[in-house]
Amino acid sequence: MSPKHEARLPLAFIPAGQEVRLAGFGDEIDPLQREQLTAYGLAESRPLKVLQQRPMTVILADEVELALEHAVARHIWVEKDAGDSPE
Amino acid sequence: MTTSLTTSDAILLVGHPNVGKSVLFHRLTGAYVNVSNYPGTTVEVTRASARFDHTAMLLDTPGVLALPARSDDERATMRALLAENTRCLVQVGDAKNLRRTLTLTALLAELGVPLVLALNMHDEAAARGVTVDIPALAEELGIPVLATVATGGEGVGELTGSLPDARPPQAMLRYDADFERDIARTADAIARLAPHPHLAARGLAILFLGGDPEVAGWLAERAGTRFAELETLRRQAAENAEGDLPALLARERTEAADALSASVIQRALRSSPLLSQRIGQYVVHPLWGVPILLAVLYIVYQFVGVFGATVLVGLLEKDLFEGILNPAFTDFVTAAVNVPFITELLVGQYGLWTMGMTYALALILPIVTTFFLAFGVLEDSGYLPRLTVIANRLFALIGLNGRAVLPMVLGLGCVTMATLTTRILHSPRERMITIFLLALAIPCSAQLGVVLGMLGGVSFSAVLIWALAMVLVLLLSGFLAARLIPGRRIPLVTELPPMRLPILGNVLKKTGGRLKWYLLEVIPLFLLGTFIMFALDKLGALPAIIRAGEPLVAGWLGLPPEASAAFVMGFLRRDFGATGLFAMAHTLSPVQAIVGMITITLFIPCFASLMMMVKEQGLKVAVAMVAVIVPFAFLVGGLFNIALRAIGMPA
Repeated sequence: MSPKHEARLPLAFIPAGQEVRLAGFGDEIDPLQREQLTAYGLAESRPLKVLQQRPMTVILADEVELALEHAVARHIWVEKDAGDSPE
Repeated sequence: MTTSLTTSDAILLVGHPNVGKSVLFHRLTGAYVNVSNYPGTTVEVTRASARFDHTAMLLDTPGVLALPARSDDERATMRALLAENTRCLVQVGDAKNLRRTLTLTALLAELGVPLVLALNMHDEAAARGVTVDIPALAEELGIPVLATVATGGEGVGELTGSLPDARPPQAMLRYDADFERDIARTADAIARLAPHPHLAARGLAILFLGGDPEVAGWLAERAGTRFAELETLRRQAAENAEGDLPALLARERTEAADALSASVIQRALRSSPLLSQRIGQYVVHPLWGVPILLAVLYIVYQFVGVFGATVLVGLLEKDLFEGILNPAFTDFVTAAVNVPFITELLVGQYGLWTMGMTYALALILPIVTTFFLAFGVLEDSGYLPRLTVIANRLFALIGLNGRAVLPMVLGLGCVTMATLTTRILHSPRERMITIFLLALAIPCSAQLGVVLGMLGGVSFSAVLIWALAMVLVLLLSGFLAARLIPGRRIPLVTELPPMRLPILGNVLKKTGGRLKWYLLEVIPLFLLGTFIMFALDKLGALPAIIRAGEPLVAGWLGLPPEASAAFVMGFLRRDFGATGLFAMAHTLSPVQAIVGMITITLFIPCFASLMMMVKEQGLKVAVAMVAVIVPFAFLVGGLFNIALRAIGMPA
């Protein structure tokens, strides 16, 4: 892991506008949903941009917008790059 | 489902949901498929002869998020891959999301079937600054790769021209050494015990180890008792894996796709999001989302409820049918047929023309046409998937997630069609609850038009009371159903396709297709319904039915005894029943109008939707639903009768 990386945070806690990297899925996400997320392109160390958090978490991964319920986004762990700041 | 072994050569369109397979299918065959800008529109495999080669059969398969198959859509596609005599596959991919496209290519490549890759929506990729080095990608994969824009027909000619050059792609990866050993052992066993006529044993082995139920079923059928050997190999491979084997295999494919896409893609830096992206973000915005939704609903109401149900119905029913066609047809029949029985059958009170065709064409057609036009614009714009985000919290109350909003909204057009569309939902539990709620409390556009027309004539509060009753019943019955039907709610994870300006031609095409589907369903049933009414009237049974229904209809619901006839009609189609009540509107008090409309709305939607319920849920579940719905409709109607009289509404 790069020394620039901070602690892992749940995706649901990241303010809108920030870019983060996916660090992993929590065990609370069942295997089928994990496969679904992987199929949507969410994989470790991939960059994501958080577009909004309410009423659902909406992210941009590559050029695809995904909406995730907080029940899922709470268990997706991400890392913020040290230099990032909200837009 | 139409997948079966065929003798003709099949060209299968495969790819992720919402990448444009169905538009391309239409371009290549001329055949209409329901196409929408939301994932999961194609729920069955559709086939048609190819325009460019009449010896080939083109198959449009439901979108696969990933293979091995997990959802019903993916299983349908896998069944087609297993069953068809495949000449080649055309993988339709999203050019702006190459990594995901190539993750699927990595698996298809292992099947050993000739492949062409169409990178569709190339225009959207370019607008986002994404450029794919297509010659380099074609060289790496060893197959034809083309850029297409299916909606505009761009690249489609090149695509058909490249089909003869289709060949099995080069493998995109070698899995981890331990996995490779397990794959090789399983592939050897498959080649011995259950060889497939077209698909490579290695590809089947990867799918089987990945837990594909369709591949497992096919192998079990072919290998017979020796399938146990394959099962043992899969169990051993799963035990050897340090983690979930299907997920680990999928991750390696994702990494391979990542590496290849990184080597052929260039992204230009963009200073600001596209306008379409901004609009897309506004419609799911926590502050602006709801006002935008209300504005959309208001516009749809003005177009369907006011323009369709009032202006167009007025023009067609009063001016055209009652003013010109019906008198002319009645005169013609009376003059040409000198048999009173036949004359009455055609143009009498329960005449096939004066009742059946007039209901279907003058009352219902304008309403469903305007609804399907509005729905077509909304679905092609990309608004509907965003509606799932807005509606998710509300649907959580009834044990569903926001995805159920799509069949529910479509149900406002045609409940039968919507019942079929519940296949986009991910669990059997969600499908069962949604089908039940569709059958119970979602009025189709035809009925909605009749309800609005009738209650609108009473007062605006009458419409509000009816709408409130429907929402309450929907929430209450959904709440109860979610607690009674075992299983847990699945949190929503959904893709939001880009907002697009709908293309008029596409909207008209799909409206035409839906109207054809609808009229083919509705006209025979309206004619049958009218004939039954005619026969009951002639046999003198109608008065008996009215008498038999009197305690319920007149006593409990407080309606005129003649309204029983409307409920008899409602068994065929509830909008037909509602239209029957509409015809008696001038004799009904406000309470009677509201109670009648509430009861008939909660009734089973129509014979066709009942058949669809049986198809989707089985006879036992469908009968159980009807056994709940019919008494429930009368119960709620009666309770409203008591409540509205109690508050002093004119009865």
